[in-house]
Amino acid sequence: MTIKKLDGKVPAGNVSEVWDNHRFNMKLINPANKRKFNVIVVGTGLAGASAAASLAELGYNVQSFCIQDSPRRAHSIAAQGGINAAKNYPNDGDSIWRLFYDTVKGGDYRAREANVYRLAQVSNNIIDQCVAQGVPFAREYGGTLSNRSFGGAQVSRTFYARGQTGQQLLLGAYSAMMKEVGKGKIKLYTRREMVELVMVDGKARGIITRNIVTGELERFAADAVLLCTGGYGNAYYLSTNAMASNCSAAWRAHKKGAYFANPCYTQIHPTCIPMHGENQSKLTLMSESLRNDGRVWVPKKPGDKRAPNDIPEDERDYYLERKYPSFGNLVPRDVASRNAKEQVDLGKGVGATGVAVYLDFLDAIKRDGEDVIRQKYGNLFDMYQRITDDNPYEVPMRIYPAVHYTMGGLWVDYNLMSNVPGLFVLGEANFSDHGANRLGASALMQGLADGYFVIPYTLGNYFANEKPNEQKVGTDHEAFDKAYNEAKDKYQQLLSINGTQPVDYYHKELGKIMWEYVGMSRNEEGLKKAISQIKDLRKQFWKDVKVPGENTNVNVELEKAGRVADFLEIGELMARDALERKESCGGHFREESQTEENEAKRDDENFCHVAAWEFTGVDNEPIRHVEELKFENVKLTQRSYK
Amino acid sequence: MGNNTVSMNLNLKIWRQKSATDKGEMVDYKLTDVSPDMSFLEMLDMLNDRLIREGKDPVAFDHDCREGICGMCSLMINGQAHGPERETTTCQLHMRSFKNGDTIVIEPWRAKAFPIHKDLMVDRSAFDEIIAAGGYVSVNTGHAPDANAIPIPKENADLAMDAAACIGCAACVASCKNASAMLFVSAKISQLALLPQGEAESKQRAEAMVAKMDELGFGNCTNEAECEASCPKGIDISNIARMNREFIKGGLTNR
Amino acid sequence: MSSRLTRIVGSSIVKKQAMAITGLLLCGFLVTHLAGNFLIIYSADAFNQYAYALTSNPLIYVAEAGLAALFLGHIGMAIKLTLENHKARPQKYYMKKPTGRGSTFASSTMPYTGMITLIFLVIHLINFKFGPLYMTTVDGVEMRDLYRTVVEYFASPLNVLWYIIAMVALGIHLSHGVWSAFQSLGFNHPSYTPTLRMASKAFAVLIVVGYSSLPIYCYLIQGGH
Repeated sequence: MTIKKLDGKVPAGNVSEVWDNHRFNMKLINPANKRKFNVIVVGTGLAGASAAASLAELGYNVQSFCIQDSPRRAHSIAAQGGINAAKNYPNDGDSIWRLFYDTVKGGDYRAREANVYRLAQVSNNIIDQCVAQGVPFAREYGGTLSNRSFGGAQVSRTFYARGQTGQQLLLGAYSAMMKEVGKGKIKLYTRREMVELVMVDGKARGIITRNIVTGELERFAADAVLLCTGGYGNAYYLSTNAMASNCSAAWRAHKKGAYFANPCYTQIHPTCIPMHGENQSKLTLMSESLRNDGRVWVPKKPGDKRAPNDIPEDERDYYLERKYPSFGNLVPRDVASRNAKEQVDLGKGVGATGVAVYLDFLDAIKRDGEDVIRQKYGNLFDMYQRITDDNPYEVPMRIYPAVHYTMGGLWVDYNLMSNVPGLFVLGEANFSDHGANRLGASALMQGLADGYFVIPYTLGNYFANEKPNEQKVGTDHEAFDKAYNEAKDKYQQLLSINGTQPVDYYHKELGKIMWEYVGMSRNEEGLKKAISQIKDLRKQFWKDVKVPGENTNVNVELEKAGRVADFLEIGELMARDALERKESCGGHFREESQTEENEAKRDDENFCHVAAWEFTGVDNEPIRHVEELKFENVKLTQRSYK
Repeated sequence: MGNNTVSMNLNLKIWRQKSATDKGEMVDYKLTDVSPDMSFLEMLDMLNDRLIREGKDPVAFDHDCREGICGMCSLMINGQAHGPERETTTCQLHMRSFKNGDTIVIEPWRAKAFPIHKDLMVDRSAFDEIIAAGGYVSVNTGHAPDANAIPIPKENADLAMDAAACIGCAACVASCKNASAMLFVSAKISQLALLPQGEAESKQRAEAMVAKMDELGFGNCTNEAECEASCPKGIDISNIARMNREFIKGGLTNR
Repeated sequence: MSSRLTRIVGSSIVKKQAMAITGLLLCGFLVTHLAGNFLIIYSADAFNQYAYALTSNPLIYVAEAGLAALFLGHIGMAIKLTLENHKARPQKYYMKKPTGRGSTFASSTMPYTGMITLIFLVIHLINFKFGPLYMTTVDGVEMRDLYRTVVEYFASPLNVLWYIIAMVALGIHLSHGVWSAFQSLGFNHPSYTPTLRMASKAFAVLIVVGYSSLPIYCYLIQGGH
């Protein structure tokens, strides 16, 4: 067990020229030869759909897989706020360099500089591409694109389409993809779940999928496999992720040798609708833009059960405005979330459950009038009222943080390839660009950057160098048999346990452990407890889970069981990574590492690196490899939002 | 804040069908202790939890984001697509819309073009086929001019956005007495016809998408607007009129 | 490319538009027919002369053929579309409830009101066009006394009642049909459509009241003038 120093393969040179030089230095595939290469793309979110479309346009044969009944339903669709780009249309001082700088800083200096710079560079192309596809971005009366400031950014660089930016961008990528489906360059497989990665001679050469409608296990071979399968936030059971969002494709690739990087970096979004009770199945996020006008407060007195409007002004604590006078309610997501938890832990939480804080618009309504507020947030207010039955025009909203995004993911180099040759990872599924904390409106940007403007180049370079097409691998190869049997046995085993508790029970129990000990605030004792509790829960799951039915039909419980089995493993790794990272940074807050003012304190001396974990067996200790991070362009400073 | 103290007892009548080839039937269930703050799908989760514990087959239904945007959830609830509330998907429907003792009839979307996989889960891939027939702008990655190169009047951009809000849930087909897909198809045709980027291909697009829609066995439009009334995103039937114009324009002038 | 022609002509949209065009032209027929009917009130001779002028013109055969084509086209297409619509949902819902925000009584009963109108049309032709043949002389010209046929027919209150019922059905058909035809042809505009929908209803009322007023008049005069 030797700890490797991983190489991110960032080409040498000035950060602003690295990508351009690299594009020139990468090898090309002759247009006529591209049709000789087959590519598997798993997932059809922003990263998967844009990659599938772009690669098919170049001439590669693409096979695309999604878990839903249509590629258009991937969870990218739920992003509300917007997408960043360094267009500087508002002439307010934005630039590629500034977007780069803000993103590295926002990620608390735990991302690769060169990756982030490239992201900022291609951000402008993304907007052009989306507009050309017919994405109906908001516009000014003169017909030009409208921008807004988002997530506390000092410049207006966010492009948006009502409160449905993610949906509109995804529909753009989806339509580009369906164009290629119509031409036959993409073969689309819906209601399929990737259950195994197939490796031949140490390279990724195919996948096994489970057909969700028939239960059949199917084999697909290719020259490269792209995982665009999103994050693992549902390890917490309750999150803003969709119900089917899962870590299984990435996790099973991890078990075949792909390193998992920074699993402890999770983003907890501050403005979600609090849970109502035990039967809650998921949490709903409301756009962060609400904090532009809403004021966050709790009663000064713990346990104050009066109705919010009965609590006089001087008995309210606007704690964000008090603690962070210059940023106030617009502090970054991690800071806002942690502070909400702190207030609830002090017994000042509000609402029936006591696990919420107020987000009050009454002052904004007094100042601007109800019409202005309705125009800005009408959709969100309606959604809030539909879910909670409260009218936010009259009563303050109740909000509470919820798991929203995972910055960690499979480790990839500058070319988006994992340590497994031929296995590329895009979008939220990789760990690359957001460091320890993602800024608002940056996730959409990264997914599309990876798919439209990075992978089309770097995949060609891999093909040109490795020539996987010269040793064709068919689905009758013994590696496929082996992977097929592993998958079959696993499902058989799940069906044969026939215990007492349904799958959801275990998922909820895992969620409670994760939220309690691997949530917004973490400490050594709690993380150790989490690791041992997860191990116990996993044992119990494999002894006692109840999965009805058989594997020859739609069997939703069997699907879920397979995914929860993986969450029960990744949860442990998340806790382990959090335990080993003894510093606080971004979304990872270790109570042992804080400033005198209770703010996150980084330890750049010991932890200015990426931790990438190698799988060694389910109950074995994984190996922690590191990739050192060097900052040559951005100066490391302690974040302060005072 | 919702009413936590009351809980409801419900009679459910649910369509059960083991597979595409099974005949299927309505089955009665009784469900107790339903909280009015639960979403409709959480109520079904609760039913399934009980069925699993009793060793019975849980009810299969489609759902994913549970925040009203992915378009995956469906369900005919008491004879209405996505239930009784206006502009609300099933996942955003809450049990406070029902009363203690209510009987709730739950059926899948029904249309020839949407065969049933199991129980309440149907195959809507016909919609993807229609998009693949022409619901796009033929611009490859990298071909785009600067985003502000072509100004678009705000009014058109807003109208395009109205049409683009379609989530492809197919409530329009489900609620239409003719199982017509005109609202879905017209929303995409309208969105792209309203924007200069999509206008270039608008004639071919309308022709190709309508041909695919007809081929897949959807019914004809009788302008009753039940689709508009059932649409969780409030897509307007003026889009259908626009599609009719685009189609005839294309049919007459396209070569 | 001939297959393109058949595809476009056979498309759901053109079929709807064929319904719309034939329907609107038939509305034109309704208006002219109604105008002619009012001559009954003016005088028996005027009415008979009008009928004679129409029927003695050799172009009548062309006009009748055209009219028959419109009717047959409208009806035939309606049958075809209705059958297709039934096929689009082979398995019906156990429970189906309108939202109350979309379909109306008129829109949901189009096939039925259409059928009533068709039955009425057949009976109407039997009673009048091929009904009892009386002759009269006006200004020295011998011609059919259609006036007498009409007035005799409406002496029976049952006939009057049936006529009015049929006209109400037609009115219901039109109240949705006229607006719907514009929508099918692609006319929908936020500023004008609400007015058009009102106008559609107003037209239906005009047709019902106009047509029903004559049988009532004939019944009241009971053959005398």
